[in-house]
Amino acid sequence: MASVVTLPFQLTAPPAEWSKPSTTGKISGKCSSVSPVKRTLYAAGPSYISAARRQLLNRTFEQDDEATHEHRETQAAKAQAEKGEELYPGLGEEVEDPALLRMDAKEWKKQDHYAVLGLGDYRYTATEDQIRVAHRRKVLRHHPDKKASGSTGTNDDSFFKCIQKAFETLLNPETRRQFDSVDRAIEDFVPNAKTVKPEEYCDVYGPIFAREARFSKKQPVPSFGAMDATKQEVEAFYDFWYNFDSWRSFEALDKEVNEGSDSRDEKRYMEKKNKAERARLKKEDNTRLREMVDMVLASDPRIKRFRAEEKAARDAKKGAAAGGKGKPLTLAQKKAEAAKKAEEEKKAAEEAKAKEADEKAVTNVVSESNYFQPQGTTPSASTVEKQLTELDTLFELLEVEESRELKDVVEKAGKGDVARDAIKAKASVAAGRGGQFEEFA
Amino acid sequence: MLVSRPAVLGINFGQSYASIAVIGKEGHASCIANEDGERQIACAISYNGEEVYIGNGAKPQLVKNGNNTIIGFRNLLGHTYDEVDHTAVFGAPLIPSSKTPAYTVDVLVMPPAPSAPSTRAGSTAPSGAATPAPREPEATKKTISVPEVTTLFLSTLFQSASDFLGVSPTGTVISCPAWFSADQREALKSAAADAGIPVLQILEETAAVLVGYRVGLTEERQERALLGQPEEGHKGEREDRDKTVVVVDLGETSLNVAVCKTGEGEYVKLAQGRELNLGGKSFDDLLCQHFAKEFTKKTKVALTIPCTESSSQADKRAEAKLRLAVEHTKRSLSASSGAATCAVESLKDGMDLSGSINRMRFDGLAAPVYRKVADKAKAVIAEAGLDICQIDEVLLAGASTLFPGLSAHLSLVFPPTTPVTSALDPSEVIAIGCALQALHLSELPAELKVEDVLKLAESPVDTTAAPIGIVVPGQSNDDLLSAVVVPSGLALPVRRRVEIPVAQGTEKVAFEVWEGKDDVKVDVLEKAEKTADDEEDEYSDEEDEPEEVRTPITKKTTLLAGLELALTDKAAKSVLFEVIVQKDGKVDLRLWQSGKESEVAVASI
Repeated sequence: MASVVTLPFQLTAPPAEWSKPSTTGKISGKCSSVSPVKRTLYAAGPSYISAARRQLLNRTFEQDDEATHEHRETQAAKAQAEKGEELYPGLGEEVEDPALLRMDAKEWKKQDHYAVLGLGDYRYTATEDQIRVAHRRKVLRHHPDKKASGSTGTNDDSFFKCIQKAFETLLNPETRRQFDSVDRAIEDFVPNAKTVKPEEYCDVYGPIFAREARFSKKQPVPSFGAMDATKQEVEAFYDFWYNFDSWRSFEALDKEVNEGSDSRDEKRYMEKKNKAERARLKKEDNTRLREMVDMVLASDPRIKRFRAEEKAARDAKKGAAAGGKGKPLTLAQKKAEAAKKAEEEKKAAEEAKAKEADEKAVTNVVSESNYFQPQGTTPSASTVEKQLTELDTLFELLEVEESRELKDVVEKAGKGDVARDAIKAKASVAAGRGGQFEEFA
Repeated sequence: MLVSRPAVLGINFGQSYASIAVIGKEGHASCIANEDGERQIACAISYNGEEVYIGNGAKPQLVKNGNNTIIGFRNLLGHTYDEVDHTAVFGAPLIPSSKTPAYTVDVLVMPPAPSAPSTRAGSTAPSGAATPAPREPEATKKTISVPEVTTLFLSTLFQSASDFLGVSPTGTVISCPAWFSADQREALKSAAADAGIPVLQILEETAAVLVGYRVGLTEERQERALLGQPEEGHKGEREDRDKTVVVVDLGETSLNVAVCKTGEGEYVKLAQGRELNLGGKSFDDLLCQHFAKEFTKKTKVALTIPCTESSSQADKRAEAKLRLAVEHTKRSLSASSGAATCAVESLKDGMDLSGSINRMRFDGLAAPVYRKVADKAKAVIAEAGLDICQIDEVLLAGASTLFPGLSAHLSLVFPPTTPVTSALDPSEVIAIGCALQALHLSELPAELKVEDVLKLAESPVDTTAAPIGIVVPGQSNDDLLSAVVVPSGLALPVRRRVEIPVAQGTEKVAFEVWEGKDDVKVDVLEKAEKTADDEEDEYSDEEDEPEEVRTPITKKTTLLAGLELALTDKAAKSVLFEVIVQKDGKVDLRLWQSGKESEVAVASI
């Protein structure tokens, strides 16, 4: 790039009597710059090479500036990429906060282990390999031996101790879980669902639930989904969150047992207190989560949409029943409808009852036939349980007539393979409706 | 993480000493020691029986084995026998040869093994033949030409560098003196190629010094603390973009002075001169004479030094011994401020020499040499058409400039604002410059070839003939340029950009662009009234001369253009002015407010 030299004087407005001299044509031939002098140039130095480059590649100063600038940038990017990739695969560089470097190793309980290792961007997602690599990198940089020989010459290994403590904590799954449970660097703010616009709903709560999902013992966790998620997806999602099983625990917030005291009573008292505190926090956390899910569910625009859709479907059905008339319903019609509805409900209840009875009968037969296990052996508990659950599912999915039919067949067969085959036959029908069967497949 | 640097090598190949430099970590060039632990490697080869000594080990051989020791061979490269001076007193004599000068040395070589009788194969039965006598090496004459000597010597340097780096260097730049003809450069290049050295360039020593100091590369030079320390002025704090520099290279056997224009790191030679037989040898001679006199005075044994052809063998040997010893004395003189000793056991006729010399005494002895160096520098500056006050910096190179007395003398000759720089060790700067140049050449972008790049400077290039500068209307001194933007002597095309501060609230700026002429203003300072009670008349005579103060100035000669620019941005603190002189001598001028490159006042001539 062109270097710039600042001249040692200041320009002011030109005096009034000065006018721009007209020089056109006057000086041509007089100017000795027009007739350059031949002199020997040393073929040496970076500037000579730059000049040669301009000349050989026929570039003007501006073009060359641009080209060199581009070249430098690509070089820098390449160097950066190489630097980052080769030594520490997959780990970007994190700036070391000077405040972090001054940290006291005695205060390790308060330190942010991820930040110490330079994994601030990864946190609970960091894999064990990444932790090992990050630790190695930090040790190479901050080892006391290196510092003593370096420019500062200090023998301060406080930060090195912090690194070791962070590594220890994060490598042990139990201590890491405890630390992750109370990781202050991850914010836990949840916006009020009532103030969130419906169109932004998924964008706002998606990340929040993804964040909370880290505490789930069961992985993977269903995602919040988009605005156009199906009813089933949304229901599965809320179902999951109401049955959320969290590994979060609060040992990390325990109060230190007073070190000076060797009184067993005092220690026990503290332990007890800590335990109570942990339980309280855990309970609080569960409540917090449930309340959050409640709040989100209550104003979820998708749920509202499903309701509206259902209603529309019902209305359409009704409209069809009323002869396709779009007229508003009269009081009589409404009454008739209500009666019809009640009837339907009654019927459904009856059907359910009947089905239940059928199921009981079938279950009896199944248990009588030793759960279709060879005579003389005791069926294992899991088999029994499985068969019973499957029967539950089966009857849920069967129509009332079908269940009656099944019951008849099974009762007729008494026990043995005929009954089993009959159940299997019905199960295959039910499987078509979404049931899953193993024992009666 | 360190960026891996290419393995490149710079060789300073002097007449008497050579040194090698490599690029270390982080791109710093540094001189390295060879396997004997020497950074200054003597250019000497000695044959002694079956042994061959190369480098510093060969020097002591001069005493007893002078006829088989080859020194001072570099300058003979590319010459025929008739062209060179073959009256060397020391070392192996040259033999008249048809074309290339060559030496004859006595060596012992193994005779070729006798052909083994074939019948003996597999048989252990005693045969009548006697056990073959152990083979004795035979004394023979060996003829070795100057290029062969050079090849042998350079290959040892290259080997040392390879051992140091762990890999064989991929590019090498070798220095040569400025007066080397094209033939001689070619001869050096082929000798190096024969030694298996990948030669990128044969670089002039002057250029190597400039590259080594990174003259004109403002930031880099400041960063690496390579600035000289003048007595006054700002030149010790920041590096100017365009400078006129004198390179004084005082080697072992010759002095080379070059005046160069360094425009933003492009080096143009203005003038150069060479003084033979002035260098470290001169100091050696002085010391030898001094100690010989002392020796004669103490022991009453006659010893005349320097020797001539007709001198006795004893004298010659004594001189060789003494020369080796004073070399050490010379080094301790330049290294430490105390007295330096010289001791030779049995210098002549079984008498020992033991003496010492302090720095002041030595500076007294060497004053004529110092004066000669300064005179030569002045002569070369005059040849370039410059005045001594127009020189911005003096760079020292060559081990003989290490004497503090010499740089002190030079700084008296030059104005106090001109630094006499030896920030880099003068004995290493050439090798360092060569290594840096090799680095630059090896980092060329892929689309450029080294040969093409170097070819551009083979013939003289166009340079600016006169300085171009600006004249601010209403300035106090009418016939001078307010500031020089493009100095004379810069290789074309050239671009210079300056920033001119603007006074607060100015609405319009305007100035004229003029061509100028470098000149010297001589102010005669009237001496202050002498105090009446100044008694010493001898001194007062000298002081009567009025003191001259010479300052470089630039007079304006031709008006090129006028430029004006209305300042739209009231907050602007400065304007930028750019001059580009194209290869055909066309001048483009641009003026704009800083940060507003769209509004620009343009003129071209």
